[in-house]
Amino acid sequence: MNPLELGFMQRAVVGCVVIAAVAPLVGSFIVQRGQSLVGDGMGHVAFAGVGLAFLIGADPVLGALTSTVLAGLLLVRMGRAGLAGDLAIALIFYGGIAVGYLFSSRANAGQTRLVGLLFGSPLNLTWGQVRVIVALAAVVVVVTVALYPRLVALAFDEQAARVAGVPTDRIVMALTLMVALVVVGGMSSIGLLLISAMMVVPVAAAAQLSSSYRTTLLVGSGIGAASAFVGLLASYYRDYAPASAIVLVAIGCYLVASVWRALNRRWRPVLSSR
Amino acid sequence: MLSDVAPPTARRVLQLDDVSFRYGRTPILRQVSLCVDEGEFVAVVGANGSGKTTLMKLALGLLRATAGHSRLFGTDVGAFGDWGKLGYVPQRATAMSALPVSVDEVVQSGLAARTGLFRRRSPEQRQRLEHVVELLGLTGDRRSRISELSGGQQQRALIARALVTAPRLLIMDEPTAGVDAEARGVLRDSLEHLVNVEGMAVVYVSHDPEAFAGLAHRVVEVQGGRVRTAGQGRDVPAEAAWAP
Repeated sequence: MNPLELGFMQRAVVGCVVIAAVAPLVGSFIVQRGQSLVGDGMGHVAFAGVGLAFLIGADPVLGALTSTVLAGLLLVRMGRAGLAGDLAIALIFYGGIAVGYLFSSRANAGQTRLVGLLFGSPLNLTWGQVRVIVALAAVVVVVTVALYPRLVALAFDEQAARVAGVPTDRIVMALTLMVALVVVGGMSSIGLLLISAMMVVPVAAAAQLSSSYRTTLLVGSGIGAASAFVGLLASYYRDYAPASAIVLVAIGCYLVASVWRALNRRWRPVLSSR
Repeated sequence: MLSDVAPPTARRVLQLDDVSFRYGRTPILRQVSLCVDEGEFVAVVGANGSGKTTLMKLALGLLRATAGHSRLFGTDVGAFGDWGKLGYVPQRATAMSALPVSVDEVVQSGLAARTGLFRRRSPEQRQRLEHVVELLGLTGDRRSRISELSGGQQQRALIARALVTAPRLLIMDEPTAGVDAEARGVLRDSLEHLVNVEGMAVVYVSHDPEAFAGLAHRVVEVQGGRVRTAGQGRDVPAEAAWAP
């Protein structure tokens, strides 16, 4: 049977491919700014919001969105005040996952549900959840396109961007909120702990194949989407954990791209001299 | 070769009045005053760690002075908004990039505040882009990955980025550090053109007097947290009296 004819696979493919295609767009800017782990940390903070939502009987997406947005605002303010050191950020991020688990266990949220949120459960997505993912992804795409030149200038050199007239504080804020949206969008599909990998790994793979920033963004987005599709098919046929399969396919793409680049650098001068 | 002094009717583009700055309890600059007029080339010299870069960051509003005032084009730096009049080439090698970036993208990022989804580049901006790329000798490298170019080529791309808005004041912090002789030659020719033909004011931070010999109208030295004039007009010293 063609798995794409099955309803749960259709929802999984749409949800995962959309968020995996959008995550590298945001990821490219955080990688360039040397903040590759910020998505991982936001996942931890989102878990606190989810735990609180379980405890008070609210929507987990709303809980995650609130906590990540608040954490994003806090991080930007701390950055401005010169307080966003490694230790302060670690305290916020690890505090987030500790609080999340504390609240979830108090609310008797259930291990299966928690594991699904942390490591993704795309095969259980509803069309309602898919619509939320698509909406959040659309916001990220629109903001990225609208702010693209400013985001690029910020990512290259924040001080030079500021002197060039880019409102860097506001752009940093927008970027941080976009990370939050991707984390929340990826929560139910790829999982809070694995979605950050989709912000970073496809970008790292694309960087091996590109010579410009724009190409890296587009190729990264394509690799993200393809990894989600192939990973889901692999999980269907081989019964792998779907989100893990998606991330491992992306890592495979990175390894292949790295080898290709190394070979290209080694053999191109030899071939072009003939 | 440049003329000895800036035109007598020139506008003031940069003014620091009694500016002081400290990192924690350590004073870096004490009641420093400095003026730069339109069309003037001012070299700022001093040993490593003397506070040259701090002085430039205060002038640009990247650092906040603990006392005194900094003005750009007559406006307090805190209220200044006409950033297109300003070009800045930072000290560090910002061309080092985690991801692939082409020369064209680096240069175009100088226009970031003036372009966007609904604001395409104007014909004047496109023309200026072509002009600075040609002026800095980067025409053949536009699509190249900047991290794969020489230090001199990378530095030229960063200078082109600073020039792409056609600024009236260009502040360069150690632009020839780690740059080969050929790139230094291109930079000298470009600066001569910018000051003499375009009437741009240049503040050139360096501890290498050879880099600006024959170009600077005035040399000021940063030493012990203070600034003093070390040479003016034809008296600009060519020897490295202040070199570390």
